[in-house]
Amino acid sequence: MNPAAVVTILIVLVIVLALVVYLLAIIVELRTITADLNVVNAAVVTLVRQTVPVNDVVTTINRQLDAGVDLLEGLLVKKAGMTDAIGLVEGLYPAAAPKSFRKQGRPKGSVPRIGEVYTRGTLILARLGREAPIAAGNPAGVAIRDVRYASASSRLLYPDPRRETGSSRDNLPRTPVIGRDSPHQYEVKEEAYKPRKRMSADAVAPGPPPVRAPTRGPGIFGAKADPTPPPAAEPEAPEDTSGRSSAMGLRPWER
Amino acid sequence: MIFWWIGNIVLLVVVLPVVVVLLKGVLTASKQIVPNIQAIITVASAAVKDLEPIPLLLTTQSYIIKTVETVANYGGSLDVILDDA
Repeated sequence: MNPAAVVTILIVLVIVLALVVYLLAIIVELRTITADLNVVNAAVVTLVRQTVPVNDVVTTINRQLDAGVDLLEGLLVKKAGMTDAIGLVEGLYPAAAPKSFRKQGRPKGSVPRIGEVYTRGTLILARLGREAPIAAGNPAGVAIRDVRYASASSRLLYPDPRRETGSSRDNLPRTPVIGRDSPHQYEVKEEAYKPRKRMSADAVAPGPPPVRAPTRGPGIFGAKADPTPPPAAEPEAPEDTSGRSSAMGLRPWER
Repeated sequence: MIFWWIGNIVLLVVVLPVVVVLLKGVLTASKQIVPNIQAIITVASAAVKDLEPIPLLLTTQSYIIKTVETVANYGGSLDVILDDA
């Protein structure tokens, strides 16, 4: 046989062998991929099956919530007016006014800045009871309670039997005025605006701590008691009869 | 005869390396697909578990309907109690 033909056959065999080896490896990998994709496919089918009713349920929930929002917005506009309603919503929820009152025909223009003047609680109570100062300018009329004398007017609603005897709050003296310009000037003591007095050193000089006398006999292990007699008690300081003393000195009313 | 030998050299030097390189590239690409699919399986399994409470949306829907009904009743009462602007 021609040697060139032999070499050609060998080279072709090597090529075919390489093809077989690599293609077998590729087949194995593709089988693995197919098996994994079957698992993924099952999971995706489950996902699709579980999410089928989500769209309808969420749509229904949004429709119900929109209905509730429209209802509340309509009630607020009806009771407070469009201008105050927009200001109230903007005060409670900043930047929410442009998205609100669409179905009520929200007018274009500046939003009244109610939230910068009144607190949130006042805003909430503003249109509920018309008792807050914000309701003073309500086009429906004046507020139920007098804005300036609200506490006095409510107090008149209840009987006050002590008013005639003089012990009522109306008959009590007013809170005293304090300060430099007060009508009643109190006595100014010399020690005012000065450091507080302290007791003299000999009156409160601490001596050595007293030694306790032994109160028991020898211990159970036979230790003898200290034969030295206890020191004599120190003479007590003369009792101060002018007043009770403390670490800081006499109290102001005892000086 | 010379051309035959030239053909053999071309087969050995050009065709065989090209075939090997191409097959090796296909094998490498197919091996890289497997870990990605494993990751997809993990994510899909987690997503299935996350979507298990979806039936509770029906409960949420019923609660929201009841809440809106209550708000509607309360709004009707407020409409009667409060004066209009």
